[in-house]
Amino acid sequence: MNFFRRRQSRLQQEIEAHIAFEIEENLEVGMSPEEARHAATKKFGSPQLTVERSREIWGLVWLERLLQDLRYALRTLKKSPGYTATVILTLAVGLGATATILAVVDSVLLRPVAIPHPEQLVMVQGQNNTLLADSQIEDLSHQSRIFSAVSAYSTGLKPVVTPSSTRVSLFAKVTPDLFKALDVHALRGRLFRHADTSAPVVVLNYAFWHDWLHAKPGIVGSTIKIGGKEQTVIGILPQGVHFPFGLSAPFVYLPLSHQAKNHNFMNGNYAFVMARMEPGVTLPQARAAAESVLAHDYQGDGVSPKMLFMQSYKTYLVGNMQKPLFALLGGVLVLLLIACANVANLQIVRSLERMEEMHVRSALGASFARLLQQLITESVVVAFSGALLGAAISFAAIHAIKAAYEDAYARFQHLALHPVVFLTMALLALAVGILASLAPAFHVRRQTMASTVRQRTTPRTRLSSALVALQVALTCVLLVVCGLFVRTFVALQHVQLGFNPHHLTELVLLPQDTHKSPTFYRETDAELLHRFQALPGVQAAALQSSLPFSRYQFYMSSSTDVSTRPFRNGDSASYSIVSSNFVTASGIHLLQGRGFLPSDDGSKAIVVLVNQAFVHKFLTGHNPIGVNIKMHSDPGDKPSDKPLRGNMTIVGVVQNELQGGDLGAAFQPMVYLDYAQLPAKSGFLSVFTICSQFAIRSTLPQGVLRNEIRATLKRVAPDMAEMEIQPMEQGIASSLSQRRLALRLVSSFGAVALLLSAIGIYGVLAYAVTLRRKEIGIRMALGSSRTGVIHLVLRKAAWMVLFGVLPGMAGAWFAGRAVKSFLFGVTPLDPMTETAVALALLLVAALAASIPAWRAARVDPMEVLRTE
Amino acid sequence: MSIRNPNSQLELLQGTLDLLILQTLAFGRAHGHAIARSIELKSDEVLRVGHGSLYPALQRLLRLKLITAEDGISENNRKARFYRLTAKGHSVLHAETSKWQRFSEAIARVLQPLPE
Repeated sequence: MNFFRRRQSRLQQEIEAHIAFEIEENLEVGMSPEEARHAATKKFGSPQLTVERSREIWGLVWLERLLQDLRYALRTLKKSPGYTATVILTLAVGLGATATILAVVDSVLLRPVAIPHPEQLVMVQGQNNTLLADSQIEDLSHQSRIFSAVSAYSTGLKPVVTPSSTRVSLFAKVTPDLFKALDVHALRGRLFRHADTSAPVVVLNYAFWHDWLHAKPGIVGSTIKIGGKEQTVIGILPQGVHFPFGLSAPFVYLPLSHQAKNHNFMNGNYAFVMARMEPGVTLPQARAAAESVLAHDYQGDGVSPKMLFMQSYKTYLVGNMQKPLFALLGGVLVLLLIACANVANLQIVRSLERMEEMHVRSALGASFARLLQQLITESVVVAFSGALLGAAISFAAIHAIKAAYEDAYARFQHLALHPVVFLTMALLALAVGILASLAPAFHVRRQTMASTVRQRTTPRTRLSSALVALQVALTCVLLVVCGLFVRTFVALQHVQLGFNPHHLTELVLLPQDTHKSPTFYRETDAELLHRFQALPGVQAAALQSSLPFSRYQFYMSSSTDVSTRPFRNGDSASYSIVSSNFVTASGIHLLQGRGFLPSDDGSKAIVVLVNQAFVHKFLTGHNPIGVNIKMHSDPGDKPSDKPLRGNMTIVGVVQNELQGGDLGAAFQPMVYLDYAQLPAKSGFLSVFTICSQFAIRSTLPQGVLRNEIRATLKRVAPDMAEMEIQPMEQGIASSLSQRRLALRLVSSFGAVALLLSAIGIYGVLAYAVTLRRKEIGIRMALGSSRTGVIHLVLRKAAWMVLFGVLPGMAGAWFAGRAVKSFLFGVTPLDPMTETAVALALLLVAALAASIPAWRAARVDPMEVLRTE
Repeated sequence: MSIRNPNSQLELLQGTLDLLILQTLAFGRAHGHAIARSIELKSDEVLRVGHGSLYPALQRLLRLKLITAEDGISENNRKARFYRLTAKGHSVLHAETSKWQRFSEAIARVLQPLPE
């Protein structure tokens, strides 16, 4: 820059010196000073031309022009701050939102696994979370041409005594082959060997060592107490290995013994399988091999080939996030399209306003290419400013998302704006800038060519109107989806819970030592229940293994025989274990029959309660009371596999109570068993070795109740670790939080889209009114009323909305079907939502059109005719 | 006739000016006005459009590295910019001069009335 200026000023000095020499010579030959000067300048010719020609020879003219264009662009943009701010903000919002969602998608879906060749890892299990039997796993591992390693694992929670406190850690029991299959090596110490399978040894993950043991050196070789048992630490995993859940939380690995002796359903010889495929083997090939293995006769044990469920490890990790994220990505891309259409529109309108300038410049000899370069420069300046602001927005948004949802979603802790995402965004901004300026540039060219007839016609704004219609259509899609989400959210808040959550507190306890007999834990729970009921201010307390909204739900699904009909495939019910007073304590409505009675406990016959869904599925048209049910045995099943043999008699029917933590989930047939009635050998009792869940009804303030509960725990069962204690209503609120996040995002997209559309409609109409001033003036002079003129403008607005809404509704129908799985209590084609959206769009269009319409009505015909 | 040769060879009319500049500078360094004066003496055609056209030519020769420029003081004590031939300039002048002479001779022969 400086160099160019210096070179030019030097040349100018040289020219001045040259003329001065000439003047001097002229004076010497006796001319008068004026004559001398005149003759000298005449002889030299035009200094400007000299400089121009020289600069052409210097080259780099393009760079100078670029700088000139940049300066010019900045100057003109500064002159219309409203336009500039609108375009930059539009782009910033569009690009910022896109970059944020792209970053989430990139972090969560595209780079989740820090393990060598993750594409070779497959997860093998049965459908509905059924597991492979030991012998099946053994046989799979012999398929060495397909699988290079086959490992088995099962997961759970155990209390761990660390130097600072007792905490609960996730654990996985794994076969020694697991780490071989993962292809990872120990950071310190060593990993499992085949000799370790029955030894009290443990491998820690990095987070456990770093966060809970403060990265103490020399930890390898020491012992820690896990689940009441001393275990020797033999190794620490490197950072970034988060098998199987992808969580970077503290995690311990224990050896999984193949020769477990007790053979019951909770801790038997079944496990999840993770295998590494040989290089070049595809998932379908692996699946075929696994099916052929499972086709052998395993006497009904494990998983049948038909029920085999295989997926890549990556899909397993990100599976449940994939759909909502892609839906969000779709939404944000629609928003980006709207933003682009808006920017293009604003540019078209602006370039039309600048026709005069363009004509003058074109008449002064500016080539089309030169004008194009100028327009593109201006667009790119605006686009990059928008991109920069967008990057700032997205940077802030990512930080906010990370801070808010890091704990809730496994992958969000790795969330960051990656350079690739940033680069993608910069390129997007550039593409938008150039594309947006091409349309106006060609408009200018057409107009320039037609400039001779320009005076007599009213220029059309057809392209702009089409872009507005497109915007309206896309906005319509976003708004309809947003409306469907709102209706889903409202419907979920009015779901019949089936119990009374008011004043109900849930408490989850975990025994620290899991090696005592199940009846011991049952007795502890009975004692605790008794003490809780006796607390002052506590109205009732109940035990329930499947407490709604608890994160530790246990119910078992089993195929079930119902005495009134023959067994059919798919006849299955869930079994939940409760205390006898659970009906009254939880406030569940008893619809038929009776609840559990203390006298039931002693009797030999087992009595059960079922829910409405059970009656609906199995007993429609029958009186359910007195019907016998039984866990179904397939031929070849060993009786010891079943947690409960013998008949159960239905004595009552209760209202459907919400199951799990999802308000939108359908009700499953449920059988409630009284824990006191269960025989000592029942497999169901092993639930109590894992955890105990209580529902406590009390009007006491939460803090007071907590203190009372904790005091009781300390006295009666100091060995129980408190996992969760919270009011049921809080559980309901947090279960809605994911939906609330989605709703917030989609509705903010919708609001921004609506705003952008309004700007688009306003821009086009305002410009149309400016262009048609003359026509409007003539119309009014010829007797058109002011209302007639207002109608003229409003009609144009109505057409644009109509042309947008019709395809928009069709698009919304597709979008509604795409997000169908997120909807509850509303169909994808919801007339009420669509009417509301159409009305909202019309209203916004009317508002946006009102200012141009008012301006049109104020056109003074006399003034217009005078300027003609 | 104005076919530009890519190898930095000189266009005919422009070439005349460039060649005249180089010839002038063959006797030693000179500033712009002196060059113009000297060319005027040799040919009153070339600079008819004005002394100004000398400067783009100087810029072109500078770019081709046939001449260099330096600041100095003129004989009448004025600050001026002096130009001087480079080694490359010398060799190009030599080559071009012979070429130009051959060309002029050829034209002269064509224009001369043929002996009867």
